[in-house]
Amino acid sequence: MSSNNTFRGGVHPLHGAHEGKSPTRGQAVIDYTAETVTIMMGMHLGAPSTPTVQVGDHVKLGQQIADPVGFLGLPVHASVSGEVIAVGPVQSVMNPAAMAVTIKNDFKDEWVDTLEPLGDVETCDPTKIVPAIKAAGVCGQGGASFPTHVKFAVKEGQYCDTIIVNGAECETHLTCDHRLMLEQSKRIVDGLRAAMRALDVKKGVIAIEDNKPDAIEAMRKAAEGRDGVEIMPLMTKYPQGGEKQLIQVVTGREVPTKKLPLDVHVIVLNVSTAKSIADAVIEGKPLITRITTVTGHVVRPCNFRVRVGTMVDELIAECGGYSIPEDQVGKVVMGGAMTGFPCPNTTHIPIAKANGGVVVYSEEESKDYDEDPCIRCGRCVEACPIGLNPYKLKYFCDAGDMKRAGEWCVMDCVVCGSCSYICPAHRRLTSSFKAMKDKIAAEARKGKG
Amino acid sequence: MKLHLSPAPHVHSPQTTRALMLNVLVALIPCAIAGVYLFGFSAILLMLVSVLSAVAGEAIIQKILGQKSRINDMSAAVTGLILALNLSPRTPWWVAMAGSLFAVIVVKGLFGGLGDNFLNPALAARAFLLVCWPRYLTTWAAPLAADAVAGATPLANPAGYTLGQLFLGNIPGSIGEVCKPAILLGLVYLLFTKTITWQIPVYMTAFTGVFCALMGGGFVESMLSGGVLFAAVFMATDYVTCPMSTKGQIVYAAGIGLIIALIRKFGLYPEGVTFAILLMNVATPIIDRFTKRRVYGYEDNKKKEAKANG
Repeated sequence: MSSNNTFRGGVHPLHGAHEGKSPTRGQAVIDYTAETVTIMMGMHLGAPSTPTVQVGDHVKLGQQIADPVGFLGLPVHASVSGEVIAVGPVQSVMNPAAMAVTIKNDFKDEWVDTLEPLGDVETCDPTKIVPAIKAAGVCGQGGASFPTHVKFAVKEGQYCDTIIVNGAECETHLTCDHRLMLEQSKRIVDGLRAAMRALDVKKGVIAIEDNKPDAIEAMRKAAEGRDGVEIMPLMTKYPQGGEKQLIQVVTGREVPTKKLPLDVHVIVLNVSTAKSIADAVIEGKPLITRITTVTGHVVRPCNFRVRVGTMVDELIAECGGYSIPEDQVGKVVMGGAMTGFPCPNTTHIPIAKANGGVVVYSEEESKDYDEDPCIRCGRCVEACPIGLNPYKLKYFCDAGDMKRAGEWCVMDCVVCGSCSYICPAHRRLTSSFKAMKDKIAAEARKGKG
Repeated sequence: MKLHLSPAPHVHSPQTTRALMLNVLVALIPCAIAGVYLFGFSAILLMLVSVLSAVAGEAIIQKILGQKSRINDMSAAVTGLILALNLSPRTPWWVAMAGSLFAVIVVKGLFGGLGDNFLNPALAARAFLLVCWPRYLTTWAAPLAADAVAGATPLANPAGYTLGQLFLGNIPGSIGEVCKPAILLGLVYLLFTKTITWQIPVYMTAFTGVFCALMGGGFVESMLSGGVLFAAVFMATDYVTCPMSTKGQIVYAAGIGLIIALIRKFGLYPEGVTFAILLMNVATPIIDRFTKRRVYGYEDNKKKEAKANG
C-alpha cells in the first residue's frame, strides 16, 4: 500500500526504528482516570480563559469552568466531577505560571447537561454545528491548538471546497492518532461530515501515511457510503502532516505566504479534532479527554485516554515508571522528537488538549552537541519542505538582522526541525529561526500597539 | 533528576561532519592501494607526508588564530590525502609537504577555516605547486617499474595507449587518478553511504567527454585520461566549494567540462582539470544565487505572492 503522494524535501527521522512507533502502535487505548486534574486556562492559541469557579465549588463532568477571552478564546470544561481545590498558577511545559483550576475527582462522573446534543451529523441543523464546536471548547489537537470554530469563520468573498482530515501522524514516537483511527474510525468520519455540512463542502479527504496500512483500511471501511469522503494514502516522510505540505499534496495548491489555508479554500483538521467535533455535535460532549502516547524509556509504553489536566509523572508511573535508572533520564519531551517541548526540570506537568505524547529519552540520547562550522553540504536546503536556504538564513538570524532574515523568508519557516535534524555539523538551525520569528512577530505587535 | 532543556528536534541524523569526512577517506582507500601497487613505495611516502603535514598545518594555524582545534573532523586529512593522490609519484616529499601546508594554512585557514574557503584546498595547492615547481609535477613515472624512465602521459601522447590501459591505470599519471576501477569503487561507496549525490560526478565526466569530442578529441578517451574521473568523484564534489542545488550543480559540472575541453585544446597545459574546477569554485556563489529553489507560497524568486488557484 505504499504511496508516492508527497512534497519535495523532508527527512526520515528514526526510519530504521519505524519512526519510534513500534512499541505503542499495537497498544489499544486504555482509560486512565486521575484522582486530581489540573486544568490549564491557556490550552489553546489565544488569550487564556477566565476561571468562573472558586475553591470549594462542586463541579460536574463537562461543566464549563472558564469563559473565553477575545477572538481566539475558548471555554474550558471540567474533565472530572468533584471539588475545586485550587485556582492559581502552576508550572506548565512552556510557562512557569500558567493559570489553572485543580479539581479533586469524586469518581462519580456525573455529567452536566448544559450542552445540547444535535444528534445525527447527516440530519442535524448545519447552522448549529459551528456554535456547538465552540461551546465544546474544541481546538486543533495536532499541536498548534488553534481554536477550531475560528477555522470555520469564512469571511466575505471566501469559500471552502475541501476539508482535509490529517491522519498523517508524521511525528516520531506518537501513535495516538493511529490508535484513534483504528478504534474510532466512524467517529472521525462523522466529525468530517459534520464539518462538511457546516460549510456546505462537497469534498472531504482523510490523508494517512502509508506506514499505517491498517488505519487506511479501517478508515476506508468507515467512509464507505458517506458523501464525498475519500481516503488518501501518503508517502511516509516527515513533515508530511505539516498543514502546508498536506494541502500541497492533497490539492496541489500552495498557501500563499502570510495567508491561511482558507485562502486556498481548504480547512485542515487533525483526526482527534474531527473526533471531538463529532462528540460535540452528536452527544453534546465538550473536549475533556484526549489520547496520549507515553513511550521511550518507560517499562510499559502505552496509549492512554486521559482526562485533560492529568499529570505527566502519574502517567509515567502508570507505565511502570522509567525503564532506566532515574539518573540516566535525560529528557522528557511533550510530543514527538521533531517538534516536542522538553519538560522543565520536573515532570509534574498537566496534559493539555493538544498533547499527543510523552517521550522519555536517556541521558545518552539527550546530550548536547557543539555547533560545528557549516560545510555547505546543502542537506538543509534539500530537506527544507518550504524551499528555504537554512544555512544562509542562520547567519542573518544569529546576527539579529531582522531585515535580511525577513528577505530570506524566515517568516515562511514552518519550524519543522528537518534542517537541524539533517545538519552534519549539528547547527541549531530551527531554534534560531524560531527565535527570529518570535522576535519579528513581537516587533510587529509593538508596531501595532 | 536533572532534565535537559535543549530545543526540538530531539533526534539527529547519524551523519556528522566527521563521519562524512571518514567516508571520503574510506572511499579513497582503493585509489591509494592502486597507487601503491602501480608506483611503489614513493606513493606511500607522499601520502604519509602529505596527510601528516596537512593535519599538523591545520593544528598550527588554528592555534595561531586562537580557534578551537578541529583536526578531529578529519577534513585536513582528506585534503592531504587528495593532494597526494593528485601528485606524480616522482614528486619530492618536501613539495608534497609545501602543498599540504599551503592548502590548509593559506587556502583554508586564513579564509576562516572549514566551510569558509571558496577554493578547494587540495586543488588550489596543486595549482600553487604547478606554478612554483612545474618540473616536479610534470615528471611522470611508468607504472609497475620503480626506476623506469618517465613516459609521456596519455594527454601528451594520445595515441600511445589503449582504452584498456587508460581504464585500468597501466599508464603514467598521478598516484590516485590512473586506476579507474578504484575510483569507481570509491564512487559507489560514497553514493551508498549518501556522502555525495550522483549528479556532479556523472554530469562533469559526461560534459567533459562531450565538449572534448566536440573539439575533436575522443569521447571516451578524454573522460578516462588525466584526472577527470578522480576530480569528478572526489574534488568537484567538495561540499564547501560546489553549488547547493541540483540545478546549480549541473551548471557547475557543465562549466568544468567546457573549461577542461578549452584548456586541453587551446591551453598551455595538457591537463586542465585543476584550473577548470578552481574557476568554477569561484563561480559557485553566483550559481547558487541564480539557482535558488522557489519558496513555498511564492510565485517565483522575485517574491511575488502566489495566486490562490482552484
